[in-house]
Amino acid sequence: MRFMVIVKATPESEKEGALPDPQLLAEMGKFNEELIKAGVVLAMDGLHPSSKGARVKFSGKNRTIIDGPFTEAKELVAGFWIWQVKSLEEAIEWAKRCPNPHDSDSEIEIRQVFEMEDFAPVLTEEQIQHKVTKRAELPLQTANK
Amino acid sequence: MRFMVIVKSTPGAEKEGALPDPQLLIEMGAYNEELVKAGVLLACDGLHPSSKGARVKFSGKSRTVIDGPFTEAKELIAGFSILQVKSLEEAIEWVKRAPNCNPTGESEVEVRQIFEMEDFAPILTEEQIQHKVAKRAELPLQTANR
Repeated sequence: MRFMVIVKATPESEKEGALPDPQLLAEMGKFNEELIKAGVVLAMDGLHPSSKGARVKFSGKNRTIIDGPFTEAKELVAGFWIWQVKSLEEAIEWAKRCPNPHDSDSEIEIRQVFEMEDFAPVLTEEQIQHKVTKRAELPLQTANK
Repeated sequence: MRFMVIVKSTPGAEKEGALPDPQLLIEMGAYNEELVKAGVLLACDGLHPSSKGARVKFSGKSRTVIDGPFTEAKELIAGFSILQVKSLEEAIEWVKRAPNCNPTGESEVEVRQIFEMEDFAPILTEEQIQHKVAKRAELPLQTANR
């Protein structure tokens, strides 16, 4: 099973031009090396503060652009991993070993990723196979090859 | 530059055992094929409702686990893509062409710039950055530009 593990933002990580604490980057690097050694991590990335981003609101055929930054830091994403593990419990165990991703209190959310086979109730076998084939064309697709 | 495109959830997508609308899955597939053809799409995935997930709260040395589901659907993520483009504007142009993920109502997509290892130059030594780049290269499906 694959899980997306989402590190939520904090007011500090959202500061204009904010860069992670070097000490934390080093500790997180060590944790990541453990994950890589265990074959758990498929992909990971960190995000710039939302001041460098935007939102697109969809309403029927309308598209409205709102420039960042956005408030409510704890609803924002600061970074993520994609993990391949056997269960939600295993993902939780790994997450508990993670260094606190911020100086202050923080939160990590663990969410199961859809595999194409999960769509069997709503798509035909042919449609699923088409999706699997197309996904294989992604340069860095995160589904288990 | 790489951007993470985050599709926010809706009450419909958060329903227990919710699966995407088949019509939307097909439309999204066609849109993603365009992105692949343009060399823009690096990775994409959809998430199960938060009832299949959990949160871990960090406070000093303590870790508290909270089982899903979580409320406030619009604060939750339903899926994401990683795009490689030349600017935020280009990423926004691509996002505007996406099908509405909530065909019967409103939805929101957030576009966020991804850190490249070189962005850490002000706080890490060249050696530390090179170490990180080398370690990232070991990721089976790492999304940084190779």
